[in-house]
Amino acid sequence: MLLMNLLGTALAIGQAYCAAEALYRAFQGRAAWELLAGFAILALARAGLSVLAERAAFAAGAAARRRLRTDALTRLLHAGPSLLRGSHSGELTVTAIDRVEALDGLFARWLPAASLAVAGPVLVALAALWADPFGAFVLAATGLMVPIAMALAGLGAAAASRRQFLAMARLQARFLDRVRGIATIVVHGRAEDEARALGSAADELRRRTMRVLRVAFLSSVALDFAAAVALVGLAIHYGLALRAGTLSNPTTALFVLLLVPEFFAPLRGFSAAYQDRLRAHGAAEALLALPPIPDQAPARPIRTVEAQGVAVAFEDVRLTWDPVRGRALDGISFRVPAGETLVLAGPSGAGKSSIIEILLGFVAPDQGRVTLNGADISELVPQALSRLTGWIGQRPVLFAGSIRDNIRFARPEATDAEVEEAARAARVDRFSDALPDGLDTAVGEGGYGLSGGQAQRIAIARAFLKNAPLLLLDEPTAHLDPATEAEVLESLRRLAIGRTVILASHAAAAHAFGGRRLDIAAGRVVAARGAA
Amino acid sequence: MSPLLRVLALWRGHLGWLLLGFVTTLAALVAGLGMMTLSGAALATAVAGALVAPMLLRGFGAARVILRYFERLWTHEATFRALASLRVWFFRGLSRSSAGGLGFRRAGDVLARLVSDVEALDGLYVGILLPLACAVLLLPALVVLIGLRDPGLAAAIGVLFAIAAFVLPWIAMRVTRGAGQRLASTAAALRVAALDALTGLREVRAFGAEGRMLAAVQAREGALLSAQREVSARMALAGAAAFLCAQLAILAVLIAAGFAPVAAVAAAFLVLAAFEAIGGLPRAGAMAGHAVVAARRVLEAAEAPAAVPEPAPPAAMPAGSGLRFEAVHFRWRADRPEVFDGLTLDIPQGSRVAILGPSGAGKSTLAALALKLAAPQQGCVKLGGVDIATLATAELRARIGWLSQATHLFDDTIRANLRLARPDADDAALWAALEAAHIGEVVRALPDGLDTWVGEGGARFSGGQGRRLALARTLLSDAEVLILDEPCAGLDADTERAFLTTLNEVAEGRTVLLIMHRLTGVERLDRIWRISAGHAVAAAA
Repeated sequence: MLLMNLLGTALAIGQAYCAAEALYRAFQGRAAWELLAGFAILALARAGLSVLAERAAFAAGAAARRRLRTDALTRLLHAGPSLLRGSHSGELTVTAIDRVEALDGLFARWLPAASLAVAGPVLVALAALWADPFGAFVLAATGLMVPIAMALAGLGAAAASRRQFLAMARLQARFLDRVRGIATIVVHGRAEDEARALGSAADELRRRTMRVLRVAFLSSVALDFAAAVALVGLAIHYGLALRAGTLSNPTTALFVLLLVPEFFAPLRGFSAAYQDRLRAHGAAEALLALPPIPDQAPARPIRTVEAQGVAVAFEDVRLTWDPVRGRALDGISFRVPAGETLVLAGPSGAGKSSIIEILLGFVAPDQGRVTLNGADISELVPQALSRLTGWIGQRPVLFAGSIRDNIRFARPEATDAEVEEAARAARVDRFSDALPDGLDTAVGEGGYGLSGGQAQRIAIARAFLKNAPLLLLDEPTAHLDPATEAEVLESLRRLAIGRTVILASHAAAAHAFGGRRLDIAAGRVVAARGAA
Repeated sequence: MSPLLRVLALWRGHLGWLLLGFVTTLAALVAGLGMMTLSGAALATAVAGALVAPMLLRGFGAARVILRYFERLWTHEATFRALASLRVWFFRGLSRSSAGGLGFRRAGDVLARLVSDVEALDGLYVGILLPLACAVLLLPALVVLIGLRDPGLAAAIGVLFAIAAFVLPWIAMRVTRGAGQRLASTAAALRVAALDALTGLREVRAFGAEGRMLAAVQAREGALLSAQREVSARMALAGAAAFLCAQLAILAVLIAAGFAPVAAVAAAFLVLAAFEAIGGLPRAGAMAGHAVVAARRVLEAAEAPAAVPEPAPPAAMPAGSGLRFEAVHFRWRADRPEVFDGLTLDIPQGSRVAILGPSGAGKSTLAALALKLAAPQQGCVKLGGVDIATLATAELRARIGWLSQATHLFDDTIRANLRLARPDADDAALWAALEAAHIGEVVRALPDGLDTWVGEGGARFSGGQGRRLALARTLLSDAEVLILDEPCAGLDADTERAFLTTLNEVAEGRTVLLIMHRLTGVERLDRIWRISAGHAVAAAA
């Protein structure tokens, strides 16, 4: 792209020469058709080149965004569900979407402008040198004046521009915050107070920013001053030389004078693109803060045969989410043979969910061993683990798409007949038949709002379709009213047949399942029935 | 009137600054044109044996540098003033219009999009209005100056200038307005795909769907990029066309140079500078295309009629504070099923009532109706025996304290967040509310106490802690009716029981409406209602 931009500058130099020579010939009354034709051809070439350069700039920005977004999403997907403990999925989306978009200017505008800022003027100065050393000297001297003067005017345009940018960003963040919470403000009857506060905050910001800008703009004066000195100085110098007869060829004077705007154009482009760099700065920091992708140890595939089921064992497992809150699991041991059911009972916060999340591979234990059919879970690649496990959580996430798509999520290669079979098994058809488009009704973001119990049935249908030998149920009825809970439990019991099941739940649901039972409190086993 | 003009009309109060900025910009432009033209003229006359006005040339040069400084300064001043008043106006309008109730329905991203629309209008003055106004004045000046010597050339240059300054930007505006729809829909699709993948991180891991989700996002991204590429390519063409207009104008000057060479040199420099001054207009036209769309959305949101019209004149507030829903029929939108079909519910003054029911049954909608964030299509809601439709909204809301599931914590101190409910509350009252919400201990342990900054959306606190801060705010208000929508969401079981036990005492004498999906057993309740299929059914007390 730099080459394209430099070629553009070279064509501009050629045009300046054609125009200068043509004007000179006009004085002599000579025709200059070949120069005019040259000027026109160069103009067309420059126009074509500018279109190509803009396309290349877009392509560079697009390629960078695609690469960065894939990288960011890969890192987020890799870090997995534990991210949701610390941050909201909305914020993560802002990082993956908006922050990556904000980096476009850096690659599409700032980088090309920054590379041309030095090379462009040098090329123009060289052309001037060929025509007239003195002209080249004036251009070079005034050109050098720009960075020096910028550095002298305080810490230069950069620092001031950054401060202005930050101040604006802060005002915008405050405004966004107040608008997001506008319902809260309105209901408290404080809208007028907040509107006044917003106004005075903006006024205060304006006063402070203008104080900074009064000094900051002095550095922009440097560029205008240098350009004016070069133009006016050269015009008067050449004018005097022409009148005195010391300069015989006016073409030189016209040529150099026409080069002055071309000389300063890349410098202007550079300062204009500076905002893009600032905008990218914050975005880049947020992207760098994303969790890294760890090197994966080559994992052995699990030696299980699905028909025989999965046996699960925990051996003295310890896990700490947050050192301040102490251990979530403090030496948990139990064993579940293939095809059996284990109910994890205990108050919320006792560690039930942590056990399920270890089995799902959302988090690795700090100490102890977790095995599936004797194979250590830490040696399984996530894909192998996810093939073995079916999972139903407290609030299933429905994706934007049809109910059918949402069930098929469990096994993308499933046929329509298999999806419908799973829907029937989970009793999804009981409510989907009443919806406008049956199983093809759109749900999720922007779609039809389903109730918690209906969403849970879709999650059960997913588990039926996936048909994994180990079923993990994490308080699947916690957010349902008792009537819906009974219906969902009935479906779950049928799903459980022939599988190893680990169910974390409060007492009522546990009774429905029977089987082995492990009571835990504060990360320790307090009672076990058939599970030790 | 076009949306952009409506926005401009909002800036009437800053007319002085806007005009000052415009006059300085124009003066700086004239100085720049003079400097270029006289530079050319200096050379041309020197060839002819004379040197005109070196002092004038220096004067223009100095004026150009100084005027540019003040141009930057004053246009920024004007922009800051304009954008401040636009935001305040927008906020006031939104708080009155039905869109203000959006936050209640967790439509935070819709509001965020509106805010970015407001931001899109920030560049209206400097980026569009100023260059356009300068071009309008520059065109006749250019034609007259050149026309004095060569009317034919002046006509040609005038036409080219008008194409570059007005026709091409207009085309760019049309193009971006047309493409805006596609840009917006592909961008929204990309956002939904990413939000799905990240909200569903647990599902994605459990089903090993990482590769599929990434591919889905990449496909949406591809669609967005291709829409952007199309707009960018058209913009590049518009820019190149404007450039060619400038080049044609210079070519015309060069062709005409044979007749009056001295004037031609000056004219060449003048044309060069004049076209450079309007070089950004096609891009400004594209910006205007976006700005028109943004302005329309901003105006629609801020000027939408309130969901519930204000009665004129409002009835006197009743003494009592019992709530009664009478045969209420309600649906959020005409194309959605009814949430309530004839709901009748009585919440006597001073009673404690629980509303239970599955999610999606409309429990939260009850709060919206009681607060006049929405109005029933049939039936009515009464406070102290008076239909709330006849009451002044502000006075009604002062009677009702509400903790919603989407209650917002502001990026401010704990003190400021709490005082939203009662601006005159002293520290003792704040601490009492914090203790009642079982968060006093946590706040006391913070080095800055009540002056601790809560972060964006309460980000510095865990979900459960943020919820308790919001609860403390609701308890602080001296409202006689408290509507608590899932107050214990995010609280662990022990804290939940402790909180509900405390609530029995702190809310003594107030009417309390607890909206929950299940009971813990420690609540002291006078009545329990279960909502199902659009009706309220009495459950055991």
